[in-house]
Amino acid sequence: MPPRLNLWSACRALSIRTRPAVAASRPPSAALAAPVALARRPLTNNATTPLPPNSSNLPPPPPPSSSGSPSAASPKPDESSALEVPTSPENEAALSQLRMIEYGLSPLDPAVEGHKFGLPELPLPSQKNSKYRYDGVVEQLTRLIMKDGKLAKAQRDMAMILNYLRTSPPPRLDPSKPLLPGAPPAHHLPLDPVLYLSLAVDSVAPLVKLRPFKGLAGGGKSLEVPIPLRARQRRRIAFNWILDVVERKKSRGSGRTQFAHRVAEEIVAVVEGRSSVWDRRLEQHKRGTANRANLLNNQVKGQI
Amino acid sequence: MSAPNCLRCLVRPSAALRLSAPPPASALKPATPPLTAAASRRAPFSTTPAAAAAPKSSSQGQQAAAKGHVRKGKRLTLKGKKKQKSLDHGKSPLPGERKAYRKRITLSNDNAIKVPWLTDLAAPDLADPANVGKVLALPPTTQDQLRASEAFKPTQTWGMFRQPAVLVRKETVDLTQRMQEAAAARKVLRMVVTGNKVTGKSLMLLQAMTHAFLNEWVVIHLPEAQELTTAVTEYAPLADTSPVQYSQPVYALKLLHAIRKANADVLAKTFTVSEHSELPQSLPAGSPLLAIANQAKEVDSAWVIFQALWNELMAPAPNRPPILLSLDGLAHVMRVSDYRSPAFEPIHAFDLALVRLFTDALGGAVKFPAGGAVLGATSRNNSPRSPSMELALAQREAEQQQQQQPGVEVPQKDPFFRGYDERVDAVLRSVQVLRLGGVDRREARALLEYWAASGMLRTVVDEKAVAEKWTLAGGGVLGEMERASLLTMRV
Repeated sequence: MPPRLNLWSACRALSIRTRPAVAASRPPSAALAAPVALARRPLTNNATTPLPPNSSNLPPPPPPSSSGSPSAASPKPDESSALEVPTSPENEAALSQLRMIEYGLSPLDPAVEGHKFGLPELPLPSQKNSKYRYDGVVEQLTRLIMKDGKLAKAQRDMAMILNYLRTSPPPRLDPSKPLLPGAPPAHHLPLDPVLYLSLAVDSVAPLVKLRPFKGLAGGGKSLEVPIPLRARQRRRIAFNWILDVVERKKSRGSGRTQFAHRVAEEIVAVVEGRSSVWDRRLEQHKRGTANRANLLNNQVKGQI
Repeated sequence: MSAPNCLRCLVRPSAALRLSAPPPASALKPATPPLTAAASRRAPFSTTPAAAAAPKSSSQGQQAAAKGHVRKGKRLTLKGKKKQKSLDHGKSPLPGERKAYRKRITLSNDNAIKVPWLTDLAAPDLADPANVGKVLALPPTTQDQLRASEAFKPTQTWGMFRQPAVLVRKETVDLTQRMQEAAAARKVLRMVVTGNKVTGKSLMLLQAMTHAFLNEWVVIHLPEAQELTTAVTEYAPLADTSPVQYSQPVYALKLLHAIRKANADVLAKTFTVSEHSELPQSLPAGSPLLAIANQAKEVDSAWVIFQALWNELMAPAPNRPPILLSLDGLAHVMRVSDYRSPAFEPIHAFDLALVRLFTDALGGAVKFPAGGAVLGATSRNNSPRSPSMELALAQREAEQQQQQQPGVEVPQKDPFFRGYDERVDAVLRSVQVLRLGGVDRREARALLEYWAASGMLRTVVDEKAVAEKWTLAGGGVLGEMERASLLTMRV
């Protein structure tokens, strides 16, 4: 959309003065009234300057500063103003902008002109929408914490989890339980709790789930077939495992921070490799590998 | 130990292992023996094909074979599924441990980045108008004193930064300057700090206490007024009082310990003017006040010792320190308490001796020998309604505004309401009121810069960010700013 105010914002910085050639061709009285009339004129015409329509309504023209005949005085203020007009940088910038407009260019930056804080960058970043203002992983895990539809409580719990991670000492990593490749060093984690949390969840997230096909194993037993998971599914399963462990934990204190602190302690335990969630993940992967031959089952093939 | 599966993928390590090292015997043995070998081993003398032999089955298979093919049907369950929770029965916390965990105050976070330009507070700093809009750190000794007098609260965010620091506001400088003027004129500043919730009322008390500690005042702080009036601590009638007053010896003992720990230096430099024979160990005149406070060991003698200490502090002698008496949660003492007299009549909070000591000072009935201040702060959390206090504060505030603009109307009592309290009216008749609101943008910017420098706020602090947080916080309300920038889920 072309900016509406641009031309006027450029004109505001201009100092208006009459053109000497036009002024000389006019009768002296009109030349005297010109500075007043010019200010009211809506459009600029290079060739001729029409007289104001009702000059009787106008205030009387200002007296000329220098004594002498009006015809002699008319070019003088132009020359003197041409000399006296202070060429401030703003004025120069505005003039050059006007010149560029004349050439058909658009010199005005719409992101700057007419906006106090500029225009938002496009495409709009996702967190600018109030419904998606939080990190995607945090948003998903918050909904998993939620009970009875109390989202605000879940959000408060999540904030307390992140604060616990921020204030707890850096984790001591266990090399036998490696985190995701490319993870930052341990002492970076507490200052970026969102990364800490998502790293922990993503590191224990299983790659496959076992989908039971009813009755295919013979004797009414179901045939378990490993199915790959999407990232969002993997996170959901991993965080539900963590919440299972948390549910069985005892709280050590009292008050509203208890649940959040238990979850956060478990997340620290995951990153340090102490958590039983790692075993659960390993178990699932073992079953997935053991059952991978089931993918070749003819009846399964048609259904996947 | 090598896991049977790779941790990051589903590939078994066996292929790689075989290439690199000679495998152990168990690895060489295949998981399922080849059919030909099995047949040759199983029945060397039989001509029956091996496949016709009964399959070696597990116990489940045997059961199924015995019963025939029985499919387990769905059973009707009348009750809901029972959850099988297996709690780990570790040692449960001892009595009092849970509360200690809840009330624990952490004043530093080693993960936070050290702020290079942060300087410690000095004695005149809080009263200097040039410091408005600066964040200054509390020196370690003052931290200990404030911690001893329970000025820090667990809901505040001290635990997120490397070192506790406070923002100097315009109201802070206003308050501390008035404290200084009062002490210089040997008068008592009587003031109530009020405002909407999370506007920093308790923190204003903390700043006043910091100023007092740095300038060697004696600070007596009652951190939670509700501990005094909600009938959670023991009480006993005092002899020779009419109408009967009640002492709270357990609380008095706790308070004495706090006073001793927080003001040890000043009390050691101040000496008694009269002899004290009523104390457990009688003291001659001219002994330091610290000696009186040191005697507080038993609950029985706590109230006597506290009175002796208070009388000594009030004694008109030349070298007395100024006193700051402060209380948080004013509404709790401006009402009828939850205690009952022996005749089972409710006891007014002003009949509790410790509360009366505070309210007398707040009402102006007590002159401190070297001047000082009596500060009360209202609270918006769990505070009872006290119509008299609300009306009195509104009236005092309107009267203060009248001095600037004469048109302001002073609210009057509702003639059809019976809930007013004469005794509360009398106490609050001439106090000053300091109303706290939001901070301005300059102060907000200083705070955000401090948070960002500590690594707790992960954005660029420019004019836009400041405007955003300031507006989100309802016009710079400090607690809301913390909520908007420190406690969000985006972090």
